[in-house]
Amino acid sequence: MNEKDDFVSSDAGGSFYSRVFYGFLFNLRLIWKNIKNKKRSTIIIIIGLVFSMSILFTSSIWTNTSQKIIADDYIETLDYEMFISTFLINRMDEVYEFVFYDPLVKQADWIFPTVALFNYEDKVYDPEDDDPPYRWYPEENQDNMTNPLSLSSAFVVSSRSIDRIKLNLEIEGNATLNSGEILVSYTQAKQLEKVYNETISPGYVLNVAITRRIPNTDEGEHTMQYFDIEETSYENYTISGIYNYVGHNSIVERLVGGGSEGAGGIILDSILFPAEDMTGVDLFVMDSNGILPRLLIKTNAQLLREGGITQMPDNLLALKERIEIRFFHSFCYIISQEIQTMADEYRRSFSATSLFLPTIASAIFLTVLSTQITIKRRREEIAFLRSRGASSGQIVGLFFGEFILISSVSLVLSIGFGILIAALVPSFGHDGFFSTTLFLRYFQYLEISPYEIEIFSVLVLGVYLGVTLINVISYVRKDIQESFLITRKGQQIVGLSMKLAAFALTIAGFIFLYLDYVSLAGESYTFGFNLISASSKTLYVFIGVVFFGCYFASLGVNYILKSIEGIFKRIFRRKSYVTFRNIKGTRKSYITFLDIEKTRKSYVALQDIKRTRQGLFVLAFFDFFIRMVAFYACYFASLGVNYILKSIEKIYNRTFRGKSFFIFRNIKRTRKSLADLTFFLVLMVCLLSSSIMIRSTTIHNLEAEDVYRKGADIRIQSILPVNISEYEEKISSIPGIEKTLGFYSIVASIGYQNVEVFGINAPDYLDIGRWIDESFPETNADNALTDLGANQTGIILSKYIAERLGFSVGKTMFVTDFRGGPFYMRFNVSAVIESAPGLGIAHGHDPKMNRITNEWVLVNKELITGLGVENGTLFLADVSDGADVEVIAEQIRVLNPLFNVNPEKINPDYIGYFITGYIPPITVVLLIGAIFVNIIAIVYVVISTEFILEQRRREYAVLMALGGRQSNIRKQLIYEISIFILATIIVGIPLGIITTLMGMSFLKPLLISQEVVVMTLHIDVVSLLIMIVTLIIAAVLGIISPIRKQMKHDIVHELRAIV
Amino acid sequence: MSKKIISVENLTKTFVSKAEELTVLQGTSFNINRGDVICLLGISGSGKTTTLNIIAGLDEPTSGRVLYGGSNIGEWTLNQLYDFRLQEMGIIFQEFYLLEHLTALENIMVPMILAEKTEDEAQERALELLTQVGLRKKAINHPEELSSGEKQRVCIARAIANYPSILIADEPTGTLDSKAGDEIINLLLGIAQQRQMTFIYTTHDPYVTKLAKRIFLIQNGLVVENGQSSFDNIEFDEKNFKYKFKGDKI
Repeated sequence: MNEKDDFVSSDAGGSFYSRVFYGFLFNLRLIWKNIKNKKRSTIIIIIGLVFSMSILFTSSIWTNTSQKIIADDYIETLDYEMFISTFLINRMDEVYEFVFYDPLVKQADWIFPTVALFNYEDKVYDPEDDDPPYRWYPEENQDNMTNPLSLSSAFVVSSRSIDRIKLNLEIEGNATLNSGEILVSYTQAKQLEKVYNETISPGYVLNVAITRRIPNTDEGEHTMQYFDIEETSYENYTISGIYNYVGHNSIVERLVGGGSEGAGGIILDSILFPAEDMTGVDLFVMDSNGILPRLLIKTNAQLLREGGITQMPDNLLALKERIEIRFFHSFCYIISQEIQTMADEYRRSFSATSLFLPTIASAIFLTVLSTQITIKRRREEIAFLRSRGASSGQIVGLFFGEFILISSVSLVLSIGFGILIAALVPSFGHDGFFSTTLFLRYFQYLEISPYEIEIFSVLVLGVYLGVTLINVISYVRKDIQESFLITRKGQQIVGLSMKLAAFALTIAGFIFLYLDYVSLAGESYTFGFNLISASSKTLYVFIGVVFFGCYFASLGVNYILKSIEGIFKRIFRRKSYVTFRNIKGTRKSYITFLDIEKTRKSYVALQDIKRTRQGLFVLAFFDFFIRMVAFYACYFASLGVNYILKSIEKIYNRTFRGKSFFIFRNIKRTRKSLADLTFFLVLMVCLLSSSIMIRSTTIHNLEAEDVYRKGADIRIQSILPVNISEYEEKISSIPGIEKTLGFYSIVASIGYQNVEVFGINAPDYLDIGRWIDESFPETNADNALTDLGANQTGIILSKYIAERLGFSVGKTMFVTDFRGGPFYMRFNVSAVIESAPGLGIAHGHDPKMNRITNEWVLVNKELITGLGVENGTLFLADVSDGADVEVIAEQIRVLNPLFNVNPEKINPDYIGYFITGYIPPITVVLLIGAIFVNIIAIVYVVISTEFILEQRRREYAVLMALGGRQSNIRKQLIYEISIFILATIIVGIPLGIITTLMGMSFLKPLLISQEVVVMTLHIDVVSLLIMIVTLIIAAVLGIISPIRKQMKHDIVHELRAIV
Repeated sequence: MSKKIISVENLTKTFVSKAEELTVLQGTSFNINRGDVICLLGISGSGKTTTLNIIAGLDEPTSGRVLYGGSNIGEWTLNQLYDFRLQEMGIIFQEFYLLEHLTALENIMVPMILAEKTEDEAQERALELLTQVGLRKKAINHPEELSSGEKQRVCIARAIANYPSILIADEPTGTLDSKAGDEIINLLLGIAQQRQMTFIYTTHDPYVTKLAKRIFLIQNGLVVENGQSSFDNIEFDEKNFKYKFKGDKI
């Protein structure tokens, strides 16, 4: 009597409680023994569970932890998030007091935009000696040019604020602003060097005064008295540092004008002056004279990100509203666009992790299948327990006990792995190198949501428990199953019907969500929150569609494989391959004139032709001609088909020789068949190939967009506006440069929309720019730019503006309010544009481009230069074949140190790049997902093949007993598994392509931030080959174990093997 | 005079497990001649199947040797053994070992396919054999749809498919009632005589030995023959729970 007998017939004496206790202990021991004896299966199930749960946990932990780090770090990189101004200056102190007590505000600093005056010889305004007062003119036209007075914009800021402002500055010297110190911009320092004819460097002492009033030159205020500098007069200040502005996303830039954009780069030509050196009277006078102070607001990052990163724009808006409602006269500017971009990018990055969904689903599926396999293997055990009188409850209880133990172990491991992976994956960031700092930070910030852990655990373990119990119960209580569904066919019909119904529902859900997505996409110019969310939702249901699609495809594959032998036999035995005669005889395959006659579309005005004799002749000739074409086409086609079929026969015979008998019968069998692999394999190949293709398509698109955004062989961005014609000439003179194009630029308005008007040489832009088909929606670059060049008053507008304001090609329209130029100009619309090389999209914020304006137009450069505009910040250049771009780039940098030549990223502060430092980009997510799916597929192929073939051990022993050679059996196995693998690959890859094409129609918001270059399918052949090879290797690995057992044991042992 | 086809010399076989060592054959020797019809009689566990398995090259002896046509099969390569079983030997297993996913016809085709005959040839011959064993109508039935007697007939047809010179059958009547058993034995003997095959079969039922030319008894791990190959000459020693030839002392 063994232990199982004890279990089922235990009749231990003692009290009820002791019996329960010992029974419990006994059961526990038995469960433990079962687990120990089924080590391999248990490990596979635990791996499957840990795999599924840890990915889910990772995504949860990762989300919660990353967003804290990202938000904190991002807010830390911003100088401020808001500035406040008011036209009621005397209420500014109240505003300060209000914001000071707002919990969201961490720091509030004053800033006064004013003017600095540099006086080399103490040209002090003396009220006693007012005649002649010192008169101020522009620097090149002053009273005494040997000793001029220099003016510059200046900002009076508190010394502590420099700690924040300096985040956007590149400083030579010290970044301090103590009393008696100033910070001077690089440009200003260079100008002063010219004026003073001395080298200006940190430590240099300047005689400088800050104006308390900005004179109005339009009203003739050209004399020193209008600057109101009498209180402080000129004093000597030490230059603590010389700075260059290098930031983009900063409040200071928005307030005063930053780099190459906006208000002409004021901060690049300025000084920073310590507010502590101004007296109260100074500040009062400044206030009185209309030099409006502003408040710079730094928020508390921890409070700002409360409620999640996506809540940040709302929290900031709420602060703005609080202030503006309390102080009606105030105006609050917030960096909403940037924070919104970050929130969008964050949302996109994390929504993109939903592309792990196929991996998770596959892992759960693997667990389900492993569980099923394990329970199938234990049918005999169940039967034994039943035969010994164990009740169904006892058996189910045993399995339930095992479930509890395995689940507990898996849960603990999953949480551990989840935390580890959540810290590990981002630690590799986007550069692929491990960062210990980031790894440790994840542990510092670690946040686990018990609610999400609970949900995911219930989901995965519930599936596992459900599958275990359903299978056990179905074996334990066969009678129930049989009474419920009388026949096997009945079961199949019910099963298939349920699957079809579920598929129909899933399809319906998918269509609904897809249409919702399409309607949102149609109304949206950007991939914002709603679109990302709609895309994710559609993806969830789409995965269901793919699962069902693969299921039904696998049914088809199995059916075809089972019919293949018949097809082969029919083809070769009766030699009924397609011959010309057959074709001639088959109505379907022979295109006759009558068929054509029936189709109205394909035959133009047949009736008209019939009416005339000539027509009838033509008709007869046409009839004859088509018959002849069809005749010969069919004849040559038949030759081709025959040739192919004959070749197939040869291949078939050479490949299988005498083995096809066993291979095809094994394919046809219903039990112990490798057909059980088909569904999962088709699914895996489909998911894997679609992951690979979506990834390669995304990478390809990103590369194409980078090239498009760059615009030409060489892209030159100047930090300060420079004279375009002067530098066009200089750049063109560099050997290796074929042609240079500068972009003259001025800001104007169309309707109420601010636009940047770029003046260009149209033919040159056509030559130099890397144009794409999608640049112009209605025409091509050739026509559009040639037309613009030919039409001096031509203008190329964005499609958005054209549609909204009702402009079309050829129509006249006005551009108004040229800054510093005429109030309006008349143009003729010469083309409508979506985007341009080097400029990005024509309408809307393109965060990857280094510019702030949301709209631009193209006009001929002569119109812009005619307004007196000579400057711009962008050049594109064409390099001759064979020239070394790097050498040329270096020569261009020598021309002007403020030139940024072929920048690696056009907008280095693009928030998307910032986020990818913490969250791997979508391409990495897809790669990791593909690797996981591949691993799952390999594990599944190995365990399933092994399981199926293990069951056939006795059959192979029989074959060997009858005289079959081991080597032949091995070959049979390899051929059989190869047929399944190849068939699933042949079906899976096209399904993957369809999945990719369908998926890409709604997945774009998760993959890219904007579709500037239209995404087109790109197939990564190498990765697909790797997938195929690994699957074949996995299959061979699955064969090894049964073969090893055959070699290890003699035939008699194998004949007696329990299978 | 009959020609010696198989010679068994000092055959021993010991099964070793974790718990014990069990010796079922203890240095037994005997010869089998071409055309012999030999019945190995012994109680269950006496070593009948082991002896057949060793003769068929399915199992290896612990010591001793089996000579086929003077050649020691223990020294053969695996492929030589496979060819030997494929061409020279037809085996009928006690548990049938029909391949469940194949029909009766296909099961019979198996050895011929293994011998690289074309499917058409194999099918033609399998149908002949099915007719011979009286199962033509069951050609497309799977083993699970056949009775034990029918399964045994399919096994017989499979065993003789490649025209073997030796036919061995392990307890061919073991799972059959006496009527079916008689039919099977008669069928086997008929085929053996018709094709002049050497036929060796085992049984634990002395009644089944009556048609054999030679009867070998397995006693204490030894194969014993006393030259009086007659069913009437066998008796069961209840005391020792063994078969013996009348008059023999155990």
